[in-house]
Amino acid sequence: MAVLPPDMNAATFSQMLEELRGAVGADWLWSSDEDLGPYRDSFSPVWDTAEERHASAAIAPADVPQVQAIVRIAGKYKVPLFPISTGKNYGYGGPSPNVNGSVVLDLKRLNQVLEVDDKRHFALVEPGVSYFDLYRHIQERGLKVMVDCPDPGWGSPIGNSLERGIGYTMPQFRDHFGASCGMEVVLPNGELMRTGMGALPGSRTWQEYRYGFGPDPAGLFAQGNFGIVTKMGFRLMPLPEYYRTGLITVPRRRDFVKLVEHVNYLSDSSMCGEAVYGSPLQRLMGDPQFLALATKLGGPSDADMDAAAERAGLPSWQVDLQFFGPEATTSANWDYAKARILSDIPGAKAIDGDHFPLPATEEQLLNKTQPYQTGIRRYGALGVPSLGIWRIVGDNGHVGFFPILPRSGEAVFEMQRVLGDALKEFPLRPFFNATTAPLYWHTYAFQMVFAPSVKHDDPAHNAIVHQAMKKVVAVAAEHGWGDYRAAPIYQDHVADTYSFNHHALRRFHEQLKDAVDPDGIIAPGRGGVWPKRFRK
Amino acid sequence: MTPRMGDSGGGPMVDRREMLTWGIVAPVLASGPYGALAAVPEGLDALVVDSRLADAGLSALAARRTYTIDGDVTALWYNTLDTLWRKPGFVLGGITGTDALFVLERLAFDCGRRAVSRTELRPADRFGVAAASWVIAPVHPSVVKA
Repeated sequence: MAVLPPDMNAATFSQMLEELRGAVGADWLWSSDEDLGPYRDSFSPVWDTAEERHASAAIAPADVPQVQAIVRIAGKYKVPLFPISTGKNYGYGGPSPNVNGSVVLDLKRLNQVLEVDDKRHFALVEPGVSYFDLYRHIQERGLKVMVDCPDPGWGSPIGNSLERGIGYTMPQFRDHFGASCGMEVVLPNGELMRTGMGALPGSRTWQEYRYGFGPDPAGLFAQGNFGIVTKMGFRLMPLPEYYRTGLITVPRRRDFVKLVEHVNYLSDSSMCGEAVYGSPLQRLMGDPQFLALATKLGGPSDADMDAAAERAGLPSWQVDLQFFGPEATTSANWDYAKARILSDIPGAKAIDGDHFPLPATEEQLLNKTQPYQTGIRRYGALGVPSLGIWRIVGDNGHVGFFPILPRSGEAVFEMQRVLGDALKEFPLRPFFNATTAPLYWHTYAFQMVFAPSVKHDDPAHNAIVHQAMKKVVAVAAEHGWGDYRAAPIYQDHVADTYSFNHHALRRFHEQLKDAVDPDGIIAPGRGGVWPKRFRK
Repeated sequence: MTPRMGDSGGGPMVDRREMLTWGIVAPVLASGPYGALAAVPEGLDALVVDSRLADAGLSALAARRTYTIDGDVTALWYNTLDTLWRKPGFVLGGITGTDALFVLERLAFDCGRRAVSRTELRPADRFGVAAASWVIAPVHPSVVKA
């Protein structure tokens, strides 16, 4: 046993463990170093340093009454619990807690798909259900709905949505918390609460109308620490009849501004799924001369980038578009997109992509017939969970900073330049450069990615990554860009940047936390929200 | 339901006794760097081989009772392990990249299993991926065979 809970001696800790064993059975409580190894964040840049956060124990209840019992025991001993669903939040802290000595509450045994309705298009699941589990449930029953999966698909819909994770299909489903509807929560005092229509006994619309009546506290449980979600509903897309892709390229750097405006229109009109932006010029980054241009301090001029594109015979930007629906609708929407964009941007070109009825065959999923090189993650785009992305995860993993920025070409150029310059002092891959494209994962915002790798055997490299992470959070905030999700070791840094009116939002969260969980039983520090007991 | 993921390339399962007389595979495992796999007291129920590791000796293992992956464990997980690992027993050996092992270890952990042995066969390449042989076995009472 390496660490103890805060303010607790070894004897009291043993006593508490005994009570916890009584609640769940001896086989489902772990406190040895060996057993707790998998609860470390193996992607952490502070791996094996004093900054790494460790659990004192982990416990896996079988059902909601056991969760309630654990919460009450934790309350009696004032021990922080750190709830995880499947614990696959890698890049954002994995299963490791905010506070050293927390007891990880592993909800993997609450793994029932409670309901999937393919006429009203929703699911109700427990936290230990993975995307694979939900997908299998749907496939085995031949249900006509599509899951919107993150990549990889081993996480849980509840865990991912509570982290405000994303997927790759239509806009209203990609924002996983936005697509949620109704939750059941064990509160810090052990009481069970349901939100929205779930609060009305006898209601049959828990997964259809999320608000119920009065204030809706559901948002407090996303990246929050006000309770433990034990059931959650999600809207599901009716299985589309047909899928179609198309690629549009534009020749000049500045054309990106108009391209983004057109795609915004298509997306906000629900005409297309995830738009996957890219720059064909990225393939020139191996050329030292082009690399120097694309990473030039202060950013390159449009003219220099256009000249480089012309010399290479490449367009400056491209966007992969995806269409879901009846075949005729997908065809009409693609035709409309081509006509709209090609008539407005001189030199823009369009290439028809794949198109086929759904569900896709294995060959279609593997994308062997696509007429152009695509950035679409086909499994994700078609709601099929995958683990294939792990083939491209280098070293011992990575940490992630994904700043939110406006959906405009100008904002993209500014972030490329500002964050590219800010990170020049670090010997890391140039994540931000003149070819960096935005990610269109969330429904109404762009993101960009900074995800440097970590190496367990190279603490000097990890220290560089750690410094770079802290700097990029701070510099981004100076320009109005905030991170959307962070590992516990960065949550205070990120929360600090959301500081309007002398941190009014954080003070409000703290007031709520003090009211419902003054001893910090549920994940103190998560989302940057600390109860009075832990505030410095 | 027919899984729409790629076939993992594995054959039908065999009982453990049969595994001990795994004619083609046993000599290969017993030799050289794979000795740890042959040393598992109860024998292996199956073996995962990563086709990215172009080892001539491994080609002999491309028989039934082996699952061939190309680094991506999706099909192996969805079509095979997700079901098998819910039941007690099943000792799995592997000769894979450490990236694939990372994924399998995490999935195994959820199912009360752990990598009980691992041997580095080749140091990390420029992407940080090493080659390893390993054995994942049940350790939690809920899945350890009586």
